[in-house]
Amino acid sequence: MKSYKLAKQTSLFFTYVALIFFSLMIALPVLWTLRTSFVNEVDAYAMPPRLFPSFTFDNYRELFGNDGFGDFLINSLIISLASTALAVPIASLGGYAFARYKAGGNILRFTVLATQMLPGVVLILPLFIVMSRLHLSDTYLGMTIAYLAFNLPFLIWIMTGFFASIPKDLDDAAAMDGLTPVQSFFRIILPIALPGIMATAVLSFIFSWNEFLFAIVLSGRTTMPIPVRLAAMKTRQGIQIAKLSAGTIIAILPMVFISGFVKRYLITGLSLGAIKS
Amino acid sequence: MKRMSFQARYRMIGYQFLIPTFLVLLLVVAMPLLFSLVLSMFRYTFLSPRLNEFVGFSNYASVVHDQYFWNSVKVTFLFVLMVVPLEFFIGYGIALMLSRPEIRFKSIFYFILTIPMVMSPVAVGLIWRMLLHPELGVVNYLLGKLGFGYVNWFGDERLALFTVTLVDVWQQVSFMVLLLLSGITSLPKEPFESATIDGANWLQTLLFVKTPLLMPIITVALLQRVITSFKTYDLVYILTSGGPGVSTDLISYNIYRTTFMGLDLSVASAVSYMLLIVILAITVVIFRSTMKGNE
Repeated sequence: MKSYKLAKQTSLFFTYVALIFFSLMIALPVLWTLRTSFVNEVDAYAMPPRLFPSFTFDNYRELFGNDGFGDFLINSLIISLASTALAVPIASLGGYAFARYKAGGNILRFTVLATQMLPGVVLILPLFIVMSRLHLSDTYLGMTIAYLAFNLPFLIWIMTGFFASIPKDLDDAAAMDGLTPVQSFFRIILPIALPGIMATAVLSFIFSWNEFLFAIVLSGRTTMPIPVRLAAMKTRQGIQIAKLSAGTIIAILPMVFISGFVKRYLITGLSLGAIKS
Repeated sequence: MKRMSFQARYRMIGYQFLIPTFLVLLLVVAMPLLFSLVLSMFRYTFLSPRLNEFVGFSNYASVVHDQYFWNSVKVTFLFVLMVVPLEFFIGYGIALMLSRPEIRFKSIFYFILTIPMVMSPVAVGLIWRMLLHPELGVVNYLLGKLGFGYVNWFGDERLALFTVTLVDVWQQVSFMVLLLLSGITSLPKEPFESATIDGANWLQTLLFVKTPLLMPIITVALLQRVITSFKTYDLVYILTSGGPGVSTDLISYNIYRTTFMGLDLSVASAVSYMLLIVILAITVVIFRSTMKGNE
């Protein structure tokens, strides 16, 4: 019995060692970037790294000062919020139609899923041409609409799952009480599904915030969001590691913060709702 | 007869809810796709953006004869074949460890795992470009301390794709861990109890009880990653721009290059359509397996 206990203790010890090693592998690169964002350029380059480097807010100050990073943040915020705000109501209706009415059957559901699998690069070329023709490239409107191409299918897919998990009896009861389908959706079903919908909205916001391909093709001087700006810093200011680190931290931090609210839905969302949360 | 009409009416209500979805997808997905199909059959470039020279399938033919296209196909398959198994085995291992009930501080581990998942691939790429810089990066410095020689992570043609793979694994492995973990924790208890009674050891339980029970979720996880890794674009853009040479020229990046640097929209559309067919085939598989999982 004693040896059994010992074996268990040892195996638990090694499990902890492996898990801590793995976590460090994930966390250290981010922490190193955080460190670099607070040192001056000279220390950012120093190899071997200084044990006690300088500490400065200059990188952040410069980004928000001369570099106008605030504008890029606001661009990201506007586009992500607008696209989410547009996609979520549409997706709720669509998801409800799929879940409750089995509208369109499997074929239509498949089409929506397939849309989500589309490589963005296939869509962006024609979208770019159309947007330029309509003078919608480098406008918030154009980008908001284009972002629907990846936001909507993924939201519908998750929301179909949400609505499917709400008992159908509720709709039937509402119908008995003389509510029309539309009324029953808005008054009965939507309030129940609301927490889930809010969480997926956050997911959609994160996706839009991180989107790069659509952004780099469709944005320009006036609408450039954070990831495009960061990518440009790579080539234009490839030498300024400290500032680039600060920019990267600015891009990551809000997402890490808000992801705390959607922990439970993060996996469901990313696995296309194939599993239930 | 009456029943039929009721059903038909019921279905009509459903379609009513679908109208906005339908319109939007028509506008931002179906029409662009159709447009690009048309483009792929004409000679249409940035310099002469007119649809007046119909060329049929000759763009497709030129794609098939393009060595860079086949190089991209090869690179993409290699990438997918490295990324997905690596992520699966590491992810499964970590998920199994995290699922042990004795493990404490789970929420800290979860928190760390979610960080790469909510990061933009652009940010991930930039971070690793700095860390893996051959002279100024901290990774080569540490490797040097451990007695390893200088590694040219992105500059070496034989190594660059592997480096991109490692960076992708770093970002995506968390998805594998958390997805498999959610599967493990929702497994029923009874099969494991009877396996223990039957005297099965740890490895036998894993191979013959746990893994088969997890198969549906493993399938979804693998297919999901196959699809997303097929589309990988941002990482290559930031890390290597397809190089050195064309050693990391993934298909999505190839299309982007042909479109916005080669300026040949027709050929890019043709490549897109060929990629589309592959993705669609994989999607059929994923759809079947998720439908099974939901029923």
